[in-house]
Amino acid sequence: MHILAQLTFKPEYSLYPFEGLPEGLWTSVLVGITCGILGCFVVLRRMALIGDAISHAILPGVVIAFLVTNNTGVWGLLLGALLAGLLTAVLINLVSHKSRTKEDSAIGIVFTALFALGLILISNLPRGTHFDLKCFVFGIPEAVNREELWLMAIIAALVIGTITLLYHPLKLISFDPVLATSMGIPVLFFHYLLMGMISATIVAGLKTTGVILVVAMVITPASAAYQLTNRFSSMLFMAGLFGGLSALLGMMLAYVLNAPSGPSMVLVATAIFALSMLFSPTHGFVFDKLRKLKLKRHIEGEDVLKAVYKLEQHKETASRDRIGSLASLPLERLPLLFKDLLQEQLITLTDAGAVLTDNGRKRALQMVRAHRLWESYLVEHANIPPSSIHPHAEKLEHAHELADEVERTLGYPEHDPHGSVIPKQEFEI
Amino acid sequence: MGTLETNLAGTPAFLDTSSMAIHLRDVTVSYQEAPVLRSVSMDVAKGEIVGVVGPNGAGKSSLLKTMLGLHPQDAGEIHYYGKPISDSRHLVSYVPQTGAVDWDFPVTAMDVVMMGHASRLRWFKRPGQKHREQAIEALETVGMAPYRNRHIRQLSGGQQQRVFLARALCQKAEILFLDEPFGGVDAATENAIFALMDDLATKGHTLMVVNHDLSVLERYDQLLLLNQHVIAYGPPGEVATEENLRNTYGGHLSLLDKAEHAMKHHLRK
Repeated sequence: MHILAQLTFKPEYSLYPFEGLPEGLWTSVLVGITCGILGCFVVLRRMALIGDAISHAILPGVVIAFLVTNNTGVWGLLLGALLAGLLTAVLINLVSHKSRTKEDSAIGIVFTALFALGLILISNLPRGTHFDLKCFVFGIPEAVNREELWLMAIIAALVIGTITLLYHPLKLISFDPVLATSMGIPVLFFHYLLMGMISATIVAGLKTTGVILVVAMVITPASAAYQLTNRFSSMLFMAGLFGGLSALLGMMLAYVLNAPSGPSMVLVATAIFALSMLFSPTHGFVFDKLRKLKLKRHIEGEDVLKAVYKLEQHKETASRDRIGSLASLPLERLPLLFKDLLQEQLITLTDAGAVLTDNGRKRALQMVRAHRLWESYLVEHANIPPSSIHPHAEKLEHAHELADEVERTLGYPEHDPHGSVIPKQEFEI
Repeated sequence: MGTLETNLAGTPAFLDTSSMAIHLRDVTVSYQEAPVLRSVSMDVAKGEIVGVVGPNGAGKSSLLKTMLGLHPQDAGEIHYYGKPISDSRHLVSYVPQTGAVDWDFPVTAMDVVMMGHASRLRWFKRPGQKHREQAIEALETVGMAPYRNRHIRQLSGGQQQRVFLARALCQKAEILFLDEPFGGVDAATENAIFALMDDLATKGHTLMVVNHDLSVLERYDQLLLLNQHVIAYGPPGEVATEENLRNTYGGHLSLLDKAEHAMKHHLRK
């Protein structure tokens, strides 16, 4: 029972006065950077659950190390955690390969078992010893001392050094473990190397975010970087940057809000992730929207061009009203589209309305040609009756760069389904 | 010249198997004690293209994995140019099937091809200008050099296959394994990939292609009809008979499978 009592989360952060904060701050930043970089491998190799597992499963290792060395010296704890972390990875591998249990269940079984073992061990600690489970679970960056900062600095240097040196094999085993194995590269060794580095980073970073939230520092910055780049090296760099930034801004946020710093870091990391979703160049909402708006404007511009061309053919003045009704565009939209067309030197403007330039006439003809070719194509290849092809062709004509291919496919037809002449590429009609 | 004796595997005894690009004798493979391949034997000469045909669960991928040294065989021998896999890993490479690749992984076509160097480079060694040139050369061979800076997701199915072929070339592998290269590509792309494979074969590469679809069998030099054991092996004109194909794809259990079941049943008792 007393374990659960310890777990209740009372907000008693010793933020003020700032004793020990610089150490806590720098340690957090280093944890953020290292977790971010390692997180790339976790995210790309779809091992998010393993990060969670290791962070929980190192509890018995830490407690046993605590019992053996009889104090909370960081080096003993690190060794205990490292062994427990590797044991977790090995056990998960064993359970998932030597039984029909799938990997996700194997992870769940192993880490809860080890965490449970850790809790039992804590409850049986000799009287008088105090193991701060709350610190383990939630983290207290303010309690980080100079020695722990050094430890984290060494781990960060080792992790970054190892990943820089072994960049190519690590990338290969993450992308194509089958090829790597067939080349004779020891994939399992690299797997455990990564697990070892993750365990070390997590245990050194435990005091900053705690066991529950440290997973966020591993997964979230790396996932944000994943949204933004198509290069592995830039993903590693960005994830490290986001991780460090999350820690730094998180600590500042915690100071401003008088909130616990671990959760603040996680929320900053999540905010960065949310932004990356919005601004991702390929999938992001913002660029997607921008691309669509740009396309819409381009299509409307071409519609205006075609309207001017039609009016010219009928010897009518291309006034704003006539263009608007022919291209079915609101009048207040026209100035913007005119501006684009002027810039591309496709039209000139007079008081009466718009006049096509030579280039403008060419482009309009291209569209007429594409429209009629697409109409023929739709009738011949898509079995759409001639009476209802117009609206489809009205959209397809904007894909006029495909017109030549359509013409070739159709065998160079002279007329469209309505009997109109299809202009040739050289535009002599 | 020796006499025209033939041994159990059907290879004329005077043929020196060390000149064969691929030599398999009585290869048996099991997963969790259940044999999935029994006594597979075949010889493939340098520059030949072998199509491996069989239904799902026939052991095609198990054969591939075993031949790549990813899965141990229970018995038999696998030799490339007369050497066992442990001494000839650098000779073999594979082109994965589309479904086995993470197309969202942050790598460009060039990055993928550069991975082919990993078998020759020390772990901590960075590839240099020479390696980049070799990678571009491999990309040129498959006609993908102009696309080298594209992300792999931005390539069409046929282009993706070519990039992975280029990786195998960059690896300087002589024997290439292709796992279902025609999955989900159109007829034109299929033709293009075949033309490329023919080209590689004339340059001295030996190719083994796992094939699902039966429409293109005559384009291979040799066919391996497989359903847990070799149904037939030889030039398509000879082995792609209706009877052989029925035996390959017919869902009937062979007596060997029945024996296997019976034994398991006994063991459980």
